[in-house]
Amino acid sequence: MIRIRGLQKSFGTLPVLRGVDLDIADGEVVALIGRSGCGKTTLLRCINFLEEYDGGEIRLDGEPLWYRAAADGRRHRVSEAEARRMRQTMGIVFQQYNLFPHMTALENVVLGPRFSQRVPAAEADALGRRLLTRVGLEAKISAYPAQLSGGQQQRVAIARALAMRPKILLFDEITSALDPELVGEVEDVIRALLSDRIMMVLVTHALGFAREIAHRIAYLSEGSIVELGTPAEILERPKDPTLKEFLRRMR
Amino acid sequence: MPPGSFGLLVQGAAVSLALAAAAIAGGTLFAIALTPLAFSRFAVVRALYGLYVYVVRGTPLLVLALLVFYALPALDLRTGPYIAGTLVLVLYVGALFAEVFRGGVLSIPRPQWESARSLGLPPLAKFRKVIAPLVTRYTLPPYVNVCVMTVKASSVLSIISVWELTLAAREIIERTLAVFTILGVAAALYFVMCFGVDRIGRWLERRLMLRGFVGERA
Repeated sequence: MIRIRGLQKSFGTLPVLRGVDLDIADGEVVALIGRSGCGKTTLLRCINFLEEYDGGEIRLDGEPLWYRAAADGRRHRVSEAEARRMRQTMGIVFQQYNLFPHMTALENVVLGPRFSQRVPAAEADALGRRLLTRVGLEAKISAYPAQLSGGQQQRVAIARALAMRPKILLFDEITSALDPELVGEVEDVIRALLSDRIMMVLVTHALGFAREIAHRIAYLSEGSIVELGTPAEILERPKDPTLKEFLRRMR
Repeated sequence: MPPGSFGLLVQGAAVSLALAAAAIAGGTLFAIALTPLAFSRFAVVRALYGLYVYVVRGTPLLVLALLVFYALPALDLRTGPYIAGTLVLVLYVGALFAEVFRGGVLSIPRPQWESARSLGLPPLAKFRKVIAPLVTRYTLPPYVNVCVMTVKASSVLSIISVWELTLAAREIIERTLAVFTILGVAAALYFVMCFGVDRIGRWLERRLMLRGFVGERA
């Protein structure tokens, strides 16, 4: 499980996270919603340490991630090698897919296992093929990203994240850049992953999809989680006035 | 055209091409070692990189050639003009290549760095599998540009008595006084060599772009 306590972060003098607490249980799917600029993407990126944070802590299965308290009481970043090891427990999928353009779909997927986890080539290859088949792209194994549609690229990106056998998957608005008719194929892949019971955190504007797959939804405003609850509680019986306003605008 | 002079010029051109090839190979390796310094965590290292590039770029190649040619014996290194000449070119184009590569590294989009980081790739794998292939594709045109320039820059080495195309031409001219014929042929030979380098570059570009960069510009 993930346990986040008092997470704080500023960009210069602008606070973007003001003490966020969040627990994610094993197998749980949590959606982060809120206006743009509310800190939801930053929170997601902090979990994976793509952003450094100024205070608070993140624990995965009890182990504190990214920072260690030193003898002098100040906190220090973990070494690069340790950070790499920690990152291997997570997979992240980005809004813009971010596949490596010079690699085929299969090469993209096996890169992490091969070189970060030192899985033997044949085994990594088999894993890559299995995962690409799972996201419905067995016919596109040798295609380069430029030869794939947005939806297909995003499915490769999901397979790439899964290839690390992560404990937690982080999704950053993964359908926002897609043409509407391609959203469904990516959402189908996520639905199919639910049976794996991997922890998932998804930043999303697709409230319908969040309601369908998330166990809980966290509504962020001005760098804090203002309301946290089941989809029904958040979307049908919101208490916070800014959340009510947000939901009204989203309809 | 004075008898026998064309053969001499072609021999000279072969030496020029060999010098350029050695300089391009050596300069590329040198630049691969230099470029990471430009991105060092330590300001001193970055400053050293900048200093080297500024000094080499800010010195005429002719002056640099004379400097190295006279400096090596002063350092008790008896090397002769060919080694000294090759070294000059390597030092010179190494700085230019390093800047080309630095530009390539800077043009890797941030999301690509983040993908590599999120996969937890160790530094060497990150370099081999992500940085180097992307930089190669981004920098091929300016890289070939420097290669073409290197072929022509090798003519400067005639000043330190490296016998290559320009020195060969000057020797023939002194004997025969056929100034325009010989210089014309020499110029034509330089053109052919540069054209050849450029063609190789285009060919590489097409090959690499086909592998995954189709439609990248869209």
